[in-house]
Amino acid sequence: MKSEPVRFAADLGLASCHTCGKLSPVKSGHCPRCGSGLHLRKPDSLARTLAFLLGSIAFYIPAMSLPVMNVSGLGGGEQSTILSGVVTFWEMGSYPVAIIIFTASVLIPILKIAALAWLCLAATGRFSGTHKKMALTYHITELVGRWSMVDVFVVAILACLVRLGNLMTITPGPAALSFAAVVILTMLSAMSFDPRLLWDQRRATPTP
Amino acid sequence: MRRHHHGLPWPRRDRDEQVACEFCDAVQPAPRLREGEGAYCGNCGELLYQNRPRSLSRATGFSIAALIFMLLAHSFPFLTMSAAGASTKLSLIRCARALSHDGDVLLSWLCIFFTIIAPLALVGSLLYMSAPLLYGRALPGALQIARWFQRSEPWAMLEVFLLGFIVSLLKLGHLAEIHFNIGLWSLVALVICIAGATAGIDRRELWDRLELAVDPAPKPEPVDRAG
Ligand SMILES: [Zn+2]
Repeated sequence: MKSEPVRFAADLGLASCHTCGKLSPVKSGHCPRCGSGLHLRKPDSLARTLAFLLGSIAFYIPAMSLPVMNVSGLGGGEQSTILSGVVTFWEMGSYPVAIIIFTASVLIPILKIAALAWLCLAATGRFSGTHKKMALTYHITELVGRWSMVDVFVVAILACLVRLGNLMTITPGPAALSFAAVVILTMLSAMSFDPRLLWDQRRATPTP
Repeated sequence: MRRHHHGLPWPRRDRDEQVACEFCDAVQPAPRLREGEGAYCGNCGELLYQNRPRSLSRATGFSIAALIFMLLAHSFPFLTMSAAGASTKLSLIRCARALSHDGDVLLSWLCIFFTIIAPLALVGSLLYMSAPLLYGRALPGALQIARWFQRSEPWAMLEVFLLGFIVSLLKLGHLAEIHFNIGLWSLVALVICIAGATAGIDRRELWDRLELAVDPAPKPEPVDRAG
């Protein structure tokens, strides 16, 4: 298919702008079109990705173990964590709610953290996979992360709605904020990852 | 004069532009595309860019509609819930206020940022760029605004809020009597319009058109003094 060998921008001293995608010599320092700084690769991509990733793992522990909301009413107070909420809804027979919360709050963050860790390993050459798989993993981590915010919004909506004549109040617990931190940090982590590192790694190892 | 002719590729300043794949860094010529076509990387197969049909008019139309629905969604409540003789109303602002009332000010600001500020920045900046570009013009500060547009895109989470709304209703459904209001239908329409506005336009097309509108004269070839 390919008649001439593939040339790579970094070898030619060309950088494509992170903001607008225009290709220009990296020596010029700033993109002539939009003025953003030019770099061959996102600066400190791996270090930043890992730092945000470790931060999100640290926040994931309180997000899961502390109560996400406090329900106080006539029958006394009650605290529920994300997992206990899922279990309650499953037992009540509200399967859709249980499945949505479980997917958004437990499955997606864990899968996203694992996928980013895997991509970091692949970018340092400690792990090799087919390019298609890595590209797919990267796109999925980009797309899916925001949906984890759903539980934070649920707490906000419930806190607003459940003020029924002072019968019952719902206040957000400490896990809600930790959970928002997990989502924001994993999003920042995915944004700072430079997928070109994966291909660089592949080019560095001689193909048999 | 309208610069967007149906079916034709968008204009560009440089005739022989090259593009590097964002995924594998392979340099390749960037052909101009007819509407509906896409350019793919010859090395790894990733999508480089697309020419989406009538992208500028779509972006303009959808973002105007989104601004109107945003106004409606903020001025009317989403629903009224009544139980035991008391009734509560829900809207984005009330949601944030309830959070800050309960002492979680940071969480309330996060909600305001994700559901009010970021979507407004996204839609407003898109309209500010795309409407004048229909006539081949760029308003002052368009380059800075274009950067805002790209930065606010991942943070606008109204569709996630909508899912949270559905989950909350499923949780509360049997507790009280619920009436839906105009605000909710505006929110649904707003989510659809934001999706339409952002899916309509490709970033490369936007930047190419902006470049042409800001500074139409092609620059002379840069002289490489080092070499
Ligand atoms: Zn490529």
